[in-house]
Amino acid sequence: IFSLFKNLVGSKTISEEDMAPVLDKMRDHLIAKNVASEIAGKLCDSVAAKLNGKVLGTFESLANTVKASLTESLVQILSPRRRVDILRDVYESQKQKRPYVMSFCGVNGVGKSTNLAKICFWLIENNFRVLIAACDTFRAGAVEQLRTHMRHLNSIHPPEKHGGLQMVQLYEKGYGKDAAGIALEAINHAREAGIDVVMIDTAGRMQDNEPLMRALAKLIKVNEPDLVLFVGEALVGNEAVDQLVKFNQALADYSASENPHTIDGIVLTKFDTIDDKVGAAISMTYITGQPIVFIGTGQTYADLKTLNVKAVVSILMK
Amino acid sequence: MVLADLGRKITSALRSLSNATVINEEVLNAMLKEICAALLESDVNIRLVKQLRENVKSVIDFDDMAGGLNKRRMIQSAVFKELIKLVDPGVKPYQPVKGRPNVIMFVGLQGSGKTTTCTKLAYHYMKKGWKSCLVCADTFRAGAYDQLKQNATKARIPFYGSYTEVDPVVIAQEGVDMFKAENFEFIVVDTSGRHKQEDSLFEEMLQVSNAVKPDNIIFVMDASIGQACEAQARAFKEKVDVGSVIITKLDGHAKGGGALSAVAATQSPVIFIGTGEHIDDLEPFKTKPFISKLLGLGDIEGLIDK
Ligand SMILES: Nc1nc2c(ncn2[C@@H]2O[C@H](COP(=O)(O)OP(=O)(O)OP(=O)(O)O)[C@@H](O)[C@H]2O)c(=O)[nH]1
Ligand SMILES: Nc1nc2c(ncn2[C@@H]2O[C@H](COP(=O)(O)OP(=O)(O)OP(=O)(O)O)[C@@H](O)[C@H]2O)c(=O)[nH]1
Ligand SMILES: [Mg+2]
Ligand SMILES: [Mg+2]
Repeated sequence: IFSLFKNLVGSKTISEEDMAPVLDKMRDHLIAKNVASEIAGKLCDSVAAKLNGKVLGTFESLANTVKASLTESLVQILSPRRRVDILRDVYESQKQKRPYVMSFCGVNGVGKSTNLAKICFWLIENNFRVLIAACDTFRAGAVEQLRTHMRHLNSIHPPEKHGGLQMVQLYEKGYGKDAAGIALEAINHAREAGIDVVMIDTAGRMQDNEPLMRALAKLIKVNEPDLVLFVGEALVGNEAVDQLVKFNQALADYSASENPHTIDGIVLTKFDTIDDKVGAAISMTYITGQPIVFIGTGQTYADLKTLNVKAVVSILMK
Repeated sequence: MVLADLGRKITSALRSLSNATVINEEVLNAMLKEICAALLESDVNIRLVKQLRENVKSVIDFDDMAGGLNKRRMIQSAVFKELIKLVDPGVKPYQPVKGRPNVIMFVGLQGSGKTTTCTKLAYHYMKKGWKSCLVCADTFRAGAYDQLKQNATKARIPFYGSYTEVDPVVIAQEGVDMFKAENFEFIVVDTSGRHKQEDSLFEEMLQVSNAVKPDNIIFVMDASIGQACEAQARAFKEKVDVGSVIITKLDGHAKGGGALSAVAATQSPVIFIGTGEHIDDLEPFKTKPFISKLLGLGDIEGLIDK
């Protein structure tokens, strides 16, 4: 009777072999949710390493133990070690009588300009004045796109509501010019005019395009923005990894500086287009260790959110 | 493109078959694991990958006493068949006809590259001597008309659009009617980016399609897309009659495996690929030659027919 009793509820040590089939399933599950396959693999490996040799609690199933451990890792990855507090930092630079400068970068078509406009709207709602620097001097219509946003935003927040001040202005020099130079002029203009924030829009570029990546590194080095935001779309698959690794690498390698300024935070766009396939959030934060500062959830100015870690993890594990 | 990169990995995986003394379940599983991992790293839809694995497994009966050579051939040909299924929907793409108007409507997710590719395609036909033109039926995105206008002007392609009209259906109809009356042969209609989650945007796409009655609808997909592609592509196909696919941004690092799932989901072939931001960065894509080049084996067709 004693041995039978033991067999039924006795505790058991977890081995790699026991976990393998469960972890294989979890890996596929994560990939199906659009986590990059390399990262899905690493996550499962780390769960295996963590649980290997541990004693399985009396009434716990292996599958649930693995799940719990993975959930914990996911929450950890998405929980920022460092908070980016833009409003606080803008107040801080206001005190120092200098504009707060943020720059946007990323590959083509991910939503840099649109989400720049949304963040601009949010800053205006917080009563800050903004100068948008049109530093995408390449893509057709890029300048007009920003001008249209400036007009819309100024008509939502007309000077009458803000003590006669125009809340957002556009600094542009048309097409074909050097982006880093335009950004510099814009920042100087903002300083003289007492504008609180400069938002630098840049052209989309492929992470392997060396001349364009060098130009971006130069723009960042010359202008020393307070915040470098990487804009990535939630639709992206395995490329998320390569994009972030190479943007960071380019900013480091091409800046020829001891202490290069790399990506400070992520804007994750088009979150409204992916249903439950939210894995890009994991891929991007895993690679950079940087926080997702904003989530883009649509095409209007109000479609800007912050990340709800618990909700995202629960969608991932469902 | 995805399969081009995969070619190497697949050949090496298949070689493991030739090297094995006995072909048993273990050898097959190891080979399939390698191939499936490569496909998943290239963003191929996980359901399609699982299907591929099951289909290849199902053709082999290990209890059957047939010799090793026969098994190798069977496995190889099953793998090829499944790979071909990924790129080849088995339908012929729409061929524009010279001497009469061909209306081509572009649709796709936001930022996938529609407007850029519209100009590239109109330019491609213009260079080949067709009377081609562009219609901007995107009234939503800030600066959309300026973008198309600047592209078209630079390429000297006639265009139609409006800064004041807000209804894309009206613009599309007016533009197409006007160019038809002027005997244009290749009329490209650019539309706003949209996604299946927003009904009103899909409804608008249907209305534009009903108004201009396109001869072909091209679904434009970004090569970097991951697992979300399939559901979007299927939804587009369910709403309008998508007939072709163009995969853009293949000049980057992306292999385009996710975008490929649009082929299965829309039952439409890839007709061009985009390889850069400039107007001539567009390459025609032909499924069959692509596959034989990829597999690098002359006797593929024969192998598969058996
Ligand atoms: N559904 C959805 N669409 C978005 C979101 N953010 C941006 N978009 C759309 O994505 C498309 C591309 O946006 P842009 O802001 O022009 O992208 P970009 O990165 O500046 O593009 P380039 O400058 O050409 O590289 C536009 O149609 C936007 O409306 C979002 O959060 N959700
Ligand atoms: N590198 C590269 N960039 C491309 C390619 N095709 C388009 N792009 C870029 O992708 C971005 C988005 O392209 P658009 O043509 O504006 O995309 P769209 O689908 O019309 O966007 P919406 O109208 O906002 O939905 C732009 O920066 C283009 O220059 C390509 O083949 N390679
Ligand atoms: Mg832009
Ligand atoms: Mg467009």
